[in-house]
Amino acid sequence: MDWHAYVRERLPEITGDAARDEEIVEELAQHVAQRYEEASASGATPAQAFDAAAIQLRDRAALSHLLREADRPRPVSPPPPPTRSASMLSDLWLDVRYAIRLLRRTPAFTAAAVATLALGIGVTIAIFSVIDTVLIRPAPYPDVDRLVMLWETDAASSTAREPASFPDFLDFKARSHTTDRIGAFMAIDGNLQPATGDPMRLAVLAVTPEMLEMLGVRPMRGRLLSPSDDVPGAPGPVLISERLWRSAYNGAELVGQSIRINDRPRTVIGIVPTDADFGIVQILRAADYGGGFGASDSRTRVDVWMPLQGDVKRFPRTTHPILLMARLGPGVAPTAAQDDLTRIASELEQQYRDDNDKRGVSIQPLSQVVFGPVEPPLLVLMAAVALILVMACANVANLLLTRGTRRLREVAMRSALGAETGRLVRQFVAENVVLASAGAAMALVLAFAVLRTLVRIAPAEIPRIAAVGIDMRTLLVAIGCAAFVALVFSLVPVAQTTRIHVAMLLKSEDRVVGGSDARRLRAVLVIAEVALAVVLVTGAGLLIRSFWNLLATPPGFDVSGTLKADLQLPQSRYPIQNNPMPTSTAIEQFNGALIRRILAIPGAQSAAIAANHPLDGGFASSFVIPRREAEAANWPEISIRRVTPGYFATLRVPLVRGRFLEDRDRASTPGGVVVNQTVMDRVFPGIDPVGRVIGFWGRPWTIVGVVGAERSQGVAKEPPIAVYLPLDAVPASAESLIVRTSGDPLSAASTVRSIIREMDPALVVSGLEPLSETLSKSLTQQRFVMMLLASFACLALVLAAVGIHGVLSCTVAQQRREIGVRMALGADAARVLRSVMAQGAALTAIGLMLGFGLSLALGRFLTGLLFGVTSSDLTTLAGVLVVLAAVAALSIWLPARRAVRVDPLVALRQE
Amino acid sequence: MSVNVFSREVKKGSAELMILALLEGRSRHGYEIGKQIEARSRGAISFQVASLYPMLYRLERRGWIEGRWVEKAGERRRRFYRLTAEGRQVLRRQRSFWHEFVEALDRVAGIRPV
Repeated sequence: MDWHAYVRERLPEITGDAARDEEIVEELAQHVAQRYEEASASGATPAQAFDAAAIQLRDRAALSHLLREADRPRPVSPPPPPTRSASMLSDLWLDVRYAIRLLRRTPAFTAAAVATLALGIGVTIAIFSVIDTVLIRPAPYPDVDRLVMLWETDAASSTAREPASFPDFLDFKARSHTTDRIGAFMAIDGNLQPATGDPMRLAVLAVTPEMLEMLGVRPMRGRLLSPSDDVPGAPGPVLISERLWRSAYNGAELVGQSIRINDRPRTVIGIVPTDADFGIVQILRAADYGGGFGASDSRTRVDVWMPLQGDVKRFPRTTHPILLMARLGPGVAPTAAQDDLTRIASELEQQYRDDNDKRGVSIQPLSQVVFGPVEPPLLVLMAAVALILVMACANVANLLLTRGTRRLREVAMRSALGAETGRLVRQFVAENVVLASAGAAMALVLAFAVLRTLVRIAPAEIPRIAAVGIDMRTLLVAIGCAAFVALVFSLVPVAQTTRIHVAMLLKSEDRVVGGSDARRLRAVLVIAEVALAVVLVTGAGLLIRSFWNLLATPPGFDVSGTLKADLQLPQSRYPIQNNPMPTSTAIEQFNGALIRRILAIPGAQSAAIAANHPLDGGFASSFVIPRREAEAANWPEISIRRVTPGYFATLRVPLVRGRFLEDRDRASTPGGVVVNQTVMDRVFPGIDPVGRVIGFWGRPWTIVGVVGAERSQGVAKEPPIAVYLPLDAVPASAESLIVRTSGDPLSAASTVRSIIREMDPALVVSGLEPLSETLSKSLTQQRFVMMLLASFACLALVLAAVGIHGVLSCTVAQQRREIGVRMALGADAARVLRSVMAQGAALTAIGLMLGFGLSLALGRFLTGLLFGVTSSDLTTLAGVLVVLAAVAALSIWLPARRAVRVDPLVALRQE
Repeated sequence: MSVNVFSREVKKGSAELMILALLEGRSRHGYEIGKQIEARSRGAISFQVASLYPMLYRLERRGWIEGRWVEKAGERRRRFYRLTAEGRQVLRRQRSFWHEFVEALDRVAGIRPV
């Protein structure tokens, strides 16, 4: 009898692995063969011996299934727990070792729980580190609570954060009773000619000596500025930042040495720490104008500090170039200081009616200026990661509940054998402490990686972003999260045991009392996860739509094919004379020659020079319309744009009325200017402004044309009212060259740089990039928040999907016997499928409804970050519904399909 | 009393212990294990192919026993199983556990013959 062939015929396929199947068949064949020989040897007939052997393989379907199941890695029964020892510490150590052993035997569960915890805790640590460093840690100023910005206000132009005039600064200093220091500072563009290498563009801050004291700056080398350095006409030494010292001078001894800034020799008297400029850029950006390098480009660190050396001749009361910071006296309330300074402003208004008419003052806490703009988006991100953490904990709770249910027999037996509840609790706590610790350790690794990416892509204007790292405080947060999860979820399986009876000892787990409680709790957790996922995905969807709207919003000019280069023309070689309007023959000649040479580049279609590139807000001025002076109080200040005539063609700004600027407008009297569409709509509604006169800077100008409105304050803001005048009529030391090319603008970059270097080797060229790059950079903050929230939303979807899948899988496993009975009694697969899917759909539907309600309630917190879309946008909500329904459907389908594949015979045999 | 009246749960729960105990002294093949169980229990417990081999493969997957094919002169190769170091530890723990359990049952239900 060929038993091998017999067994092979009965069991054609077992595990799916041909080699393994062959081994099993051979072994079973030997067993039945030996049974046959034994029966034959004891006197049975061949037929009887055959029956005795063959009966072993009677139920081949069940045998095949059992062999297949047995040959697959399965969760194992837990080994018996360690016996009690003398000391509690030893007991705890025993519990921990036992817990590690137990967890190693269930690698799938352990990996899922640790990974989920690591994700949830990891992103929480990363974002908390940012919030802690940027917002929570106090600003590094001494007496930060007493530091305020003193903004001048102008009711005539409705500005609330204006720079001050130098004479006003002196008057505030002299007359204030409530401040013990008032300092002034001003952003200046500088260029540095190092001993070797190319000239560099610098961010220079001109300060009065009180500023450094108020900011708590301490020199690393040398000394700080003294009052004698601040006297007009004095040599004007400089302090340089550690960053510049190391990058440009390799840390060489520099104190006492002379360096050339803006073509003028300056003695270095000290080196200050790089972070001495904390908050300066944020202050410059907060000002309505006069922010200099802080407001207009990507420079975010101060390289050089020099004395302001202000005097009333250089800075008369009509000009407002300086920003003021004050330290309130000890114990002085901000309201008292406000009243005091308002009194002074009123006195000045009375004394200097021409210059200070309708001017006031308002104080703002310095911390609010520095941190205020970044607080809303960072808090939104913190709320998002808190939701992620809750979802991760819910998923882990589900996993622990499922596992706890499977271990009820073990717990019931130990309880019946006399184990105290406290002992059981300690063991479960030990297991969850091990899990949570592993999760927290992995979370730290993940957090490091996430933080490195965050710091790289975060907008540079977030204060202290480069200093973000994981410190003791964030470690404590991680440990706290882990401890919370460990302790709270340890109690769940023990709570389940309180309702277990000894009589249930050997019954199957799903019939033990407490199984239904666990099912309800799991269902609640999944509903909560779905609801939170809706909130996160809705938030991300709204931000994605906002960003999309921003990208789709026409900026008012065409960036395609354009290259920008920023130039700094030092006064020493390009002097500007005020006669009384500024003029400069050197700048005019340089600009003319530059444009001619640029136009000769192959591929160059047009070129222009502007005092401010199209995304640079520039500065503004009040203006009047003759015979409509009374209306001026209703108009904001007008943005002054100084451009060469080719500007509009280069940037393809459309002409609405009249004509573009021409060379003749510079010399005409009154000078010709062009206004934008916003001026026409707001100041000349229903009237053609061409030919009308507009007055600013104390002289009249004739409007010769109207052009389309550029969004010079950023795509997210409405275009301001703006007037364009010939650059040569009012030249600027800092200007931007814009070139339109027929091909890739980057290919012209090196040629442009070479031409400028040939014309003036000492000139600093910076910001050489396609204008499309400049536009993209202007959306960095919106992009950053959108990308982060979208990442969190994806994470939330994964967690929700895992949660739904886990709960339904557990339900199917527990209902396996019932499903088997139903199918054995005639229920078809479709009905079983519908039943399981209905359970999942019910949980998802409840979660969706809760989630949408929460989204609508919480949506208002996002309003400040949205553009072109409301927080209750129906299209976004519909999109979220589709996405979540699809994810939920997939998560429900997989366990439902497993339910349909239950073999009724096998299920009925199972306990 | 025949094994048939014994609870399936008790039989299943003790099968691991019996197999590990039989392999403690020496390695055996599957048929011999089944015969030894039947012989030493005096016929009270017997395992069919459908119970014995799935159990052996499960124990092998857990790393408590190790199977290998042995070829002896003049005979077809057979698969022998032996106890691993981990299996010895598990056997020790299970013996201890069952000892406690039986003691507890005896205290409650007086199962030992007087």
